[in-house]
Amino acid sequence: MPRVTVEGMKFYYQQAGEGPDVVLLHGVSGNMAIWPLINLMPALAANFRVTAYDLRGHGYSDTPPSGYTSADMAGDLVKLQKALGLGPMYVLGHSFGGVIALHAAVLYPESIAGLVLSDPYFPGLRHLETRVGQWSGWQEYKEQANRAGLEVTEEDWFDVGQLFKQTANLPAERYEMFRKELGIAAMDRLTRLAATTCGDDVKAVAGLTEERIRSVRHPALALYGEESPFLATCRYLTENLANCRMALVPKAKHRAHEENPPAYVALVQKHLREMAGIAQGHCMGGAA
Amino acid sequence: MSMTKDEIMNDVASVLRNFNGREYSGDIDSNTRFFGDLGLASIDAVVLGETLEEHYGRKLPFHLFMADLGRRAVRDIPLGELVSFLHQHLETD
Repeated sequence: MPRVTVEGMKFYYQQAGEGPDVVLLHGVSGNMAIWPLINLMPALAANFRVTAYDLRGHGYSDTPPSGYTSADMAGDLVKLQKALGLGPMYVLGHSFGGVIALHAAVLYPESIAGLVLSDPYFPGLRHLETRVGQWSGWQEYKEQANRAGLEVTEEDWFDVGQLFKQTANLPAERYEMFRKELGIAAMDRLTRLAATTCGDDVKAVAGLTEERIRSVRHPALALYGEESPFLATCRYLTENLANCRMALVPKAKHRAHEENPPAYVALVQKHLREMAGIAQGHCMGGAA
Repeated sequence: MSMTKDEIMNDVASVLRNFNGREYSGDIDSNTRFFGDLGLASIDAVVLGETLEEHYGRKLPFHLFMADLGRRAVRDIPLGELVSFLHQHLETD
């Protein structure tokens, strides 16, 4: 099982292909399996050396009790880059993975070649997003949680930590109910993260202020679902970053990579090739 | 290497019975579903692929298996389909 150790912490990763380096970052409570599942990893491997890993606290990587801010995890990213001998990286991050990617561009500009920001929401831009509590994905989760006896309201979408804690402290029979609603593996993930500072850390600005976000000059793509709850953020990035394009994935919300994988993969492939100056030639199919 | 599907099913079952420190005591057969019954996560499918590659001492195109899994409306798979995949690629590759 391929693992790399940085500062005593083990990270599970997979690598495929040859060429300029691309690194893929999943979101909170996900894991790297999403990239082979949506066929993004093999598609990019035609032009790039693609590295995908499990963030700390996720998948088969270690779970330290703390250190889950975007600054901490941007540190993990560049340490892992060094340990694996990767060159300047094109980083694609989904959701909080996108926050980590952008924070890495701020803190370690020379390590980053370009960014694909896949539906991130930034704690430092919270004032832009006023209607997220009504987002259907959150409503769905809220209903599941309420059926199992969790007290989740519209405002809690922002408070993942609160959610982790409530989940971990459910009485046994309620825990079983929730587990049935959500699935065993998902429940295990929440319980695992509840024992860490992850929930509080991911809503911390952690130095990634609006001013710093605006300062990024790397080639970037704001890639959002056309019905994403975070379109205000998408517009903000496109208008305020020096070198940021925008692309919307049709028929998709916050999880465009899962909701419309062929369109998502085609857009990522197209834009990464352009950023890296690779001619649009042999496409691996799967166009939108 | 020529193996029957039954032999491959036995290999898969023995790997999954104690998979990365998680024991599973229920029956494991070709109808057992990877996620719904065994309670495994998507990342376990990636790691299972590596474990089986080690077991058989060869590379197998698991990215095809993962992409197939990802295209399903209900993302689950009975072990019988994994066995068929292995049978096909252990035969021909």
